[in-house]
Amino acid sequence: MKIFQQLINSPSQWIKEEGPEANIVFSSRVRLARNIQGFVFPPWASNSELKKVSTEILEAAGKSKYFKVSSVIDMEKLSFLERRFLLERHLISDEFVDNGKYRFLVATEGEIISLMINEEDHLRLQSILPGLQLMEAWKLSDKVDNDLEEYLNYAFSPQRGYLTSCPTNVGTGMRASCMIHLPSLVATNRIRDVLKGVSQLGLITRGLYGEGTSSRGDFFQISNQVTLGLKEEQILNSVERVTRRVVEEEKRAREVLLKNNSAKIKDEIGRAYGILTNAYLISSEEALQLLSKIRLGIGLGFLSGLKIGILNELFILIEPAQIQIMEGKSLNPFSRDRTRAKIIKEKLTIHPPGQMHGCMDV
Amino acid sequence: MLCQLCGQREATVHFKEVINGVTRELHLCEVCAEKEGFLSKSFPLPDFSLPSLITGLTEFDTVLPKKEKKCPGCGLSYTQIEKKGKMGCSLCYQTFEEYISPLLEKIHGRVLHRGKVPRRGKMRSKIERQLYQLRQELDKAVKKEEYERAAKLRDKIKKLQKDENFPTTN
Ligand SMILES: [Zn+2]
Ligand SMILES: [Zn+2]
Repeated sequence: MKIFQQLINSPSQWIKEEGPEANIVFSSRVRLARNIQGFVFPPWASNSELKKVSTEILEAAGKSKYFKVSSVIDMEKLSFLERRFLLERHLISDEFVDNGKYRFLVATEGEIISLMINEEDHLRLQSILPGLQLMEAWKLSDKVDNDLEEYLNYAFSPQRGYLTSCPTNVGTGMRASCMIHLPSLVATNRIRDVLKGVSQLGLITRGLYGEGTSSRGDFFQISNQVTLGLKEEQILNSVERVTRRVVEEEKRAREVLLKNNSAKIKDEIGRAYGILTNAYLISSEEALQLLSKIRLGIGLGFLSGLKIGILNELFILIEPAQIQIMEGKSLNPFSRDRTRAKIIKEKLTIHPPGQMHGCMDV
Repeated sequence: MLCQLCGQREATVHFKEVINGVTRELHLCEVCAEKEGFLSKSFPLPDFSLPSLITGLTEFDTVLPKKEKKCPGCGLSYTQIEKKGKMGCSLCYQTFEEYISPLLEKIHGRVLHRGKVPRRGKMRSKIERQLYQLRQELDKAVKKEEYERAAKLRDKIKKLQKDENFPTTN
């Protein structure tokens, strides 16, 4: 599968680059749900209807200037491992992993913009950028949406807005989310209160891989719940404002940790680095936990030779499907732990950290 | 009975064809019937002839229990939609308005869209408002049994739909 190979070889741009607030905010994403007028929605559609609507959308994407350089992937032709690979790269949703006919992923080079065709809605358009750049991600999604609309007749009602399979998405059809790394709020046991505060403001918090997953590697996602009755900008502003508040909380928690427990933090970060660069076997759970400490260490200015981008990449690369796809074969858990240890060691020693020093990188 | 073509939706359109002396029966859902060219006009109002409009109205509004009434776009009932938690098509929002409205209020705390409008939608909305008004007038005319007036309104609606060549939403 040549197209899939291309995707493997070109790493996600949004992961490697550093955006605003990169030390704490991993990525900003805006996803739009759209349906095509006159077609039954995917959850109820027959194969022939799915085929017809996917052909229309693929044609539209083919004409759009935003998809000149992109991969089109027929989900049916992928193995389970390959589908997991795309999930780990945040290109598709859980629902999309469970295969079906006439479901396609279209991803641009660098994976900044992507389309899921025939997920729960006919079209899910996603823009994802590094760091805290929600408005920029929206502007991108908005532009691509306008361009696709030149060729597609969206299901829209003046009263209800963009009509979606699930009434929870109707109106703007927009889900705006920020992925944030909160190791200090976790370490100081403040995380529960902070997340509770977020949900009281009408936003949703989740673990790393979306709905129903627990947090891994101290990553959390903040997104809007309401999609109807507000302008897109109002929704984006509220997600961004709340994310900024959580970022401030995390910064404060980092200061507190440094002030009260500086030696302990340095010790933990140093040990994490020691294990990660010397381990021969490592599980993904242990790796996530230790990489979280390294990521925090970089944020605190302790590991000046290491870049956040490399850490972000590692968080993805150590996932089970990534390892096996990169190795080109399915591996048993033991071999996976071995390969994982090798990958981490390579990445962390190619870019050796400078001397540990105590000054804060504010 | 399920549709013979898609096997998914209730068959609501029934045909008898006689070809070379052999009688063939066809049972299709409205979506497939429209695709196969058996219905001249697609949804929302499949057949606009006056008698069928009147029976159509009574059928939808009084004969069927409301949750069992079928969406003309996808052929689903609200009971089915409720069970799966997913709407069948864009027309469901209008067909099952009485259930959707309180649901949206509960989910979003609001019921009216204030966000982005697709460029084509901007034009469409204007025509849709006109269509909506004309349909309301048509309803009234039919109820008052002013058939001549109703026929004129029907022609106006047809013309508006055709002139602009807009697929009909809501
Ligand atoms: Zn059918
Ligand atoms: Zn419907």
